[in-house]
Amino acid sequence: MESVLTVQNLQKSFKDTQVLHDISFSVQKGEIMAILGPNGAGKSTTIRNIMGIMYPDEGEVIFHNHNGNTIPRHKVGYLPEERGLYKNVKVMDILLYFAELKDYPLDKAKERALTYLKKFDLEGKENVVVDELSKGMGQKVQFIGSIIHEPELLILDEPFSGLDPLSQDVFKREIRELAENGTAILLSSHQMNLVEEMCDRLFLINKGQQVIYGKMKDVKAEYANFKCMIYGENDVQTLEAIPEVTRVEQDGDTSVLYLEPSATLPDWLSNIPKDLDVQEISVDRISLHEIFVDVALGRSIAEKEGVLDAQ
Amino acid sequence: MRNSLKVGKWEMKRNLKSKSFLISLFLTPLIFIFFATVPNLLMDDGGDEESGTTVYVNDSIGAYSMLESIAEEQSFLSWNLEETDQSLNEAQSTIDSEDAFIQLNEETLQNGVVSYVTGDEVSNQFMTQLQTLEQPIKQMQIQQADLNEEQMALVSSPIQFQVAEASAGSESVEMSSSPFAEDPFENGVPALFGGIVLFSIVITGMMIFQSASQEKKEKVAEIVLSSVTPNELMQGKIIGYFALGLIQVTAWMVFIIPLSLYLVDDIPIMEYLLTPQLLLFVLIAILGYLLFASLFVGLGATLEDASSGSNFQGMVMMLPFLPVVLIGPILADPNGLAAQIGTFIPFTSPAVLLIRLALIDQWPWVEIIISLAILIVSIWLFMKLAGKIFKVGILIYGKNATPQEIWKWLRA
Repeated sequence: MESVLTVQNLQKSFKDTQVLHDISFSVQKGEIMAILGPNGAGKSTTIRNIMGIMYPDEGEVIFHNHNGNTIPRHKVGYLPEERGLYKNVKVMDILLYFAELKDYPLDKAKERALTYLKKFDLEGKENVVVDELSKGMGQKVQFIGSIIHEPELLILDEPFSGLDPLSQDVFKREIRELAENGTAILLSSHQMNLVEEMCDRLFLINKGQQVIYGKMKDVKAEYANFKCMIYGENDVQTLEAIPEVTRVEQDGDTSVLYLEPSATLPDWLSNIPKDLDVQEISVDRISLHEIFVDVALGRSIAEKEGVLDAQ
Repeated sequence: MRNSLKVGKWEMKRNLKSKSFLISLFLTPLIFIFFATVPNLLMDDGGDEESGTTVYVNDSIGAYSMLESIAEEQSFLSWNLEETDQSLNEAQSTIDSEDAFIQLNEETLQNGVVSYVTGDEVSNQFMTQLQTLEQPIKQMQIQQADLNEEQMALVSSPIQFQVAEASAGSESVEMSSSPFAEDPFENGVPALFGGIVLFSIVITGMMIFQSASQEKKEKVAEIVLSSVTPNELMQGKIIGYFALGLIQVTAWMVFIIPLSLYLVDDIPIMEYLLTPQLLLFVLIAILGYLLFASLFVGLGATLEDASSGSNFQGMVMMLPFLPVVLIGPILADPNGLAAQIGTFIPFTSPAVLLIRLALIDQWPWVEIIISLAILIVSIWLFMKLAGKIFKVGILIYGKNATPQEIWKWLRA
């Protein structure tokens, strides 16, 4: 895989508090890489350091395919977390301005703008003044603005915040399509469920420190153990007595059993006591969301802090 | 630089397409015209009555023809002269409310007393107008005194004051009794033009402040900064609003020049305007703009909401109006201490220079050059500082910066 961006040993302090400790990762061509973490974990700070809006105290940001120390602004698309649009201008004018700033040919930009407006269900809005758009529409226009110049690397800071589920799906589909066409995508989010299904690799950050870094499926295999949900009247003690069960959560007749990482499903299922009251049963892997909550609360997984091979 | 121009072009286009800018662009000169013409029209009514002031002259010393020629020469004397045989007492009892009576007799020549009577509705200006008779009457008195030519020349020549420099060996310099220029229009018209340029671009400079503050409020800054550097964005704004200022001046001139040609048709304005002096005045105006523009763009980046600025920011906003304080002393003495101090303070020097150079004939070139040098150095300095403030300030959301914070950014 060809790396487009590499971040090495990034450190940053505000006043006396260190907000980034030794952050390192890379983003490759055609992949979706996610920076995940709770609010205040350092996601936006990391991205701002990449975009040259802040400067790191230590460490390096390397754009491959680009010589020199400057940021290849024309090849990078950026959708910041704090985003807005000039109020009293037309949608097309602002999109063309963004394209012009990136030195992208205007006739091509116009064509692309119209295509994307159509894709985002904003057909015919190109001459509408930004003021008259709803918040969601505005966000779509901002997204178009960040990709209007066909960037090699697209950096999206919380792209889904404030979107309704329908628009979220449109954004997801579009981001995936861009990645399939070879764009390297770095996105940050605290909405795990959205990211879980679309990202190839992830970088979990908490309090400015790397917690997990690796391929999505490896992370799931490593951290996302099986959990078994049983609906029926059962004693907690009986359930806890089942081998390879680490934890049991019970809410009325619903019990969730967390299994040890070493557990293999067929063996474990055949060992279930025959007298258990089972109305319904389902087995699933722990979701990214649960890993995230565990990490954020500093529970078990955090203790097993580790790095997977990112390649 | 290319990026700055792109930003500048955008700022220009954005404003030219906005209704409020267009309205103010055309409304301001219209308001100006309104205030320039309407009081004039009203005054003209008064003037008509005045032009009807019939002045009866009882002349027993042969001064009437001289009076007639004065009334013709001095256009502001709207007198209709008429000779009369009425005595002062008769005039007192019979005079019409809009008429006046002047008595010139032996007493006038001997004691220098001119008795006159005015009707109720004759304006107070009549007294001032009477003063114009002083010089000719004096002349007649001198003639009466039977002086020879030499004596007459001596008596009628004004007193001149000559100053000798205190330092040894220096030549004595003859000063004309007044520092004011002989022809007030020669420098005045170009300076007025420069003043208008300065005024309008300082106004657009304030728009920069709004624009920077809005950029923050609308949170576009970070998107734009992913394409250009903060310095390019800042310079672009300064360039864009400079162009807007020039557009505004042009629009004003389209209204003002024909209007002023119409209003004051006896002064060849265009000839006075298109002189080498104009270049210096415009240069001063542009330097003034650059100084305030850099000040405002930095300030705007510290405020999210212009209306909630602290006293600190409000005080900075008032800086362009500082020269107003100095106008009085400068008019009184264009080469005085206040004027000189004003010339060397960058915030006041553009306006003070414009006023002074319009008033005085002998331009103090040394002062002008030092002042321009100070101005240019301060522009450079302020651009640097504004750049520092802008870079940090534009990306701080949700709050206004305090002076302490700004100080910290400046030292960073």
